[in-house]
Amino acid sequence: MSYGKYVLRKGLWYLLTFFIATTLVFIIPRLIPGNPISAIVAQMGSGVPSESMQRVYESFIRDYGLDKPVVLQYIDYMKNLFHGELGISFSLYPKGVTEIIGEALPWTLALQIPAILVGWILGNLLGAYAAYKRGKFDKVLFPVSLLVSAMPYYVLAILMQYIFGVYLGWFPPSGGYSMSAFPSFTFDFMVDILSHYTLPFVSLVAVTIGSQAIGMREMSIYELNTDYVNYSRMLGLEDRKIVSYIFRNAMLPQITGLAISFGTMVGGSIITEIVFGYPGIGTWLFNAIRQNDYPLIQGIVLVITITVLFANFFLDIMYGFLDPRIKAGEMEEG
Amino acid sequence: MMLEVKDLSASYVLPEGEIRAVDDVSFSVDEGEILGIAGESGCGKSTLAFSISFLFPPPLRHVGGSVLFNGKDLKNFNDRELRKEILGTKISYVPQSSMNSLNPTRRVKDIAFDIFRAHMDISEKEMYERAKERLDLLSLPESVLNMYSVELSGGMKQRVVIALSTLLGPELLIADEPTSALDVSSQRIVLKELKKLFKDGVFKSMIIISHELIILKHLAHRIAIMYAGELVEVGETERIFKEPLHPYTKALIGSVLEPGKRVEREKIPSLPGAPPDLREKITWCRFYDRCPFADEKCKRKQELVERDGRLVRCERGKDI
Amino acid sequence: MNLKKRAGALNKKLLIGAIIFFVILIVSFAYPPFSKRDPLEMEGMMFEPPSSLYPLGTDNFGRDVLTELIFGTKTSITIGFIAGSIATLIGTTIGVFAGYCGGNTDNILNTITNIFLVIPPILILIVISVSIQSRSILIMSLILGITSWPWTARAIRAQAQSLRNREHIKMAKLNGESLAEIIAFEVLPYLASYIVMAFILQVSTGILNEAAMSMLGLGPTDTVSLGTMLEWALLFESARIGAWWAFIPPGLAITMITFSLYLANSGMDEIVNPRLRGVV
Repeated sequence: MSYGKYVLRKGLWYLLTFFIATTLVFIIPRLIPGNPISAIVAQMGSGVPSESMQRVYESFIRDYGLDKPVVLQYIDYMKNLFHGELGISFSLYPKGVTEIIGEALPWTLALQIPAILVGWILGNLLGAYAAYKRGKFDKVLFPVSLLVSAMPYYVLAILMQYIFGVYLGWFPPSGGYSMSAFPSFTFDFMVDILSHYTLPFVSLVAVTIGSQAIGMREMSIYELNTDYVNYSRMLGLEDRKIVSYIFRNAMLPQITGLAISFGTMVGGSIITEIVFGYPGIGTWLFNAIRQNDYPLIQGIVLVITITVLFANFFLDIMYGFLDPRIKAGEMEEG
Repeated sequence: MMLEVKDLSASYVLPEGEIRAVDDVSFSVDEGEILGIAGESGCGKSTLAFSISFLFPPPLRHVGGSVLFNGKDLKNFNDRELRKEILGTKISYVPQSSMNSLNPTRRVKDIAFDIFRAHMDISEKEMYERAKERLDLLSLPESVLNMYSVELSGGMKQRVVIALSTLLGPELLIADEPTSALDVSSQRIVLKELKKLFKDGVFKSMIIISHELIILKHLAHRIAIMYAGELVEVGETERIFKEPLHPYTKALIGSVLEPGKRVEREKIPSLPGAPPDLREKITWCRFYDRCPFADEKCKRKQELVERDGRLVRCERGKDI
Repeated sequence: MNLKKRAGALNKKLLIGAIIFFVILIVSFAYPPFSKRDPLEMEGMMFEPPSSLYPLGTDNFGRDVLTELIFGTKTSITIGFIAGSIATLIGTTIGVFAGYCGGNTDNILNTITNIFLVIPPILILIVISVSIQSRSILIMSLILGITSWPWTARAIRAQAQSLRNREHIKMAKLNGESLAEIIAFEVLPYLASYIVMAFILQVSTGILNEAAMSMLGLGPTDTVSLGTMLEWALLFESARIGAWWAFIPPGLAITMITFSLYLANSGMDEIVNPRLRGVV
């Protein structure tokens, strides 16, 4: 199988997954009795108390085409999705959902991407080192990583907030920047942004390190016992070279591992944002749920799903590029 | 004498006990000689092959004895010096499990470059040329250099491994069951290639290890038989086959089936049971439990002594 | 003797994990029937620090945190167990059929599993939970259970696949045993240890996800759980106020429960896969 074919197959697969995921988001609320959509329609019939709410709901029914048959609703839904139109928010009427997400997403990405990358790299280095060294370092690292990864991200986040943000007061406990600060490209504002960034960033990195180190340790132990390592040693290759072999080969499955753990990471990052009141989409999702802002909830869920699918697709492509076994079609890809 | 192994002992040190896989083994290899080592699996022959490198990665541990290569005691080399000056250049290996011996994510070319770089300072162009030449000698096309392990067939992999192992023209090649993972026709090709490389002088001497004596018969000048960590018989190939002295050698030859030759089954003592547990210290003949000729005399320590121009570890060798 | 020594060292993780878990389990299930306090009763003032009357202080509603903690642990473990059982059941069924049957059955089931592995479960959880206004313990468990099976399906499939070509299964086929019989008597017994391990992980996943959903405001509606305790602590900014007793006890309880389950799982894993022990 050539690499191009592999990319094409992966692409088609993710397209299928995209349709299933978005269809689920469409269908589930319409299947469950008492769901938010039918509740809104019912309220319209019985008369909504305030006139402004009446207007909000009317535009909702119009945007979602709720007076049309379900099949047409679905087609409209997909059409709007492809045009990036996610409807109008209830709580921030008449602000569009796309606009709200557009403002929040940069915060989230700026927090997530570096945190995941740093956590992944540090976790893999620690795990490989533990496997190679064994002995004391390994014996200490393993239980610590297990404890850290057993500690839910939100508990770690609250603890960090309390210890470093409140008790020691080293960093601001919440927010993306100070209320008094005016967003600008000045040095003071950058420092302010960074000091708010530290706690959510470190708590996300810590959780990622724990889980990645455990996986990498296992993979490296496996690689350490392979025949090619022994053979390289017998041919007089230096330890440094052999460790680089092991690291690279154990890291490959970790790329897939990273892709798969995105699903769990998303939950973690949403709540980390909420704990720190960080102005990303997690905090917006939290507010939307509290205020029954269904269009905003749906919009955020869709945007996160699409982002995760893209990230996965990208990692799969990279994996196929780095591992010759994929090209030879010898290994099964998940 | 190119290689001299003197009273070498090595153990696997595991939490559940020490396994003495190589016990007080001595032998030598001359320049221009091929020595065969035979024995059942688990008799310690692979560990012996590995111990000659004097690397001893844990849990393997050096217990005693020495390895002299061209008169130099390998004990005096540290790990870094061993790898840089001896392994791959002077002494090289063809491992048992060639199927997985190539790093799956590196091209053959890059593995070859890594080997060159570990030992010498030459240009990439020269490395490439020399690797190509060696592949050519093993009837492998140049395109193989750009391939990954997964793109090679089993027989090709084994030949690539041989090419890599002999890349720097080692003086001594140690081939550990070089054909065990291959089908019969690939086996024949690989043995032929090894013989050819030897005749061409790519390497000067070879130790070839196998559990099948027949493979050694047409290749080795001398054969050493190993049992439970000890050598039990060492002698010239022809004589070993014609008149084995140790009962274990007899049993091994009994299990050799040669095409076109009928084996007289009833004369051969069959070999029931398994070798002894090497965690226990046995002070008498280790073959005692399985030997059909065992009697009271065998209940004492057996030394490797010279008899009829070869070495044998059995007092009763002649009367049986 | 050597074997015994090895088994003893092995079981240490499993043993410690099991002991921690069962101590928590027994306390949280044995105490409530005798409790004189109602976890939902607002007795004191908001965020009273620990005292002899309130050993772990009070929460934002003036409720006794210790009583809440014990009742909440019971709720969380119950949800974890029910959700874990559902997820393990679905995951095992799909995994066994995909792995054992192979061919097209496998292709279809594996594609479905992979799709649901990629879509973050929390998003499906949100979409379902938003649509259900009142969420009892049972409904909560059900929602959590039906969204977290893919991991188990994947792990069990890999194990079932390795069984497919075993001798005893071929024999059973030749003897004309039905698919159901082969799966029940020849496949499942060999997967038992993996199923138990998957179940242990699923219980902890259920407990963790309950808390995560609660903190989003989508937790169980009519009860106190470790998740709802954290939810209120978060909403009323207990960390910023400095009322550590409102969030440390439930946070620590969740951590201890999941840690004990991870430890037990890792111990079992080492028994089944000796290579991980790091001896070989």
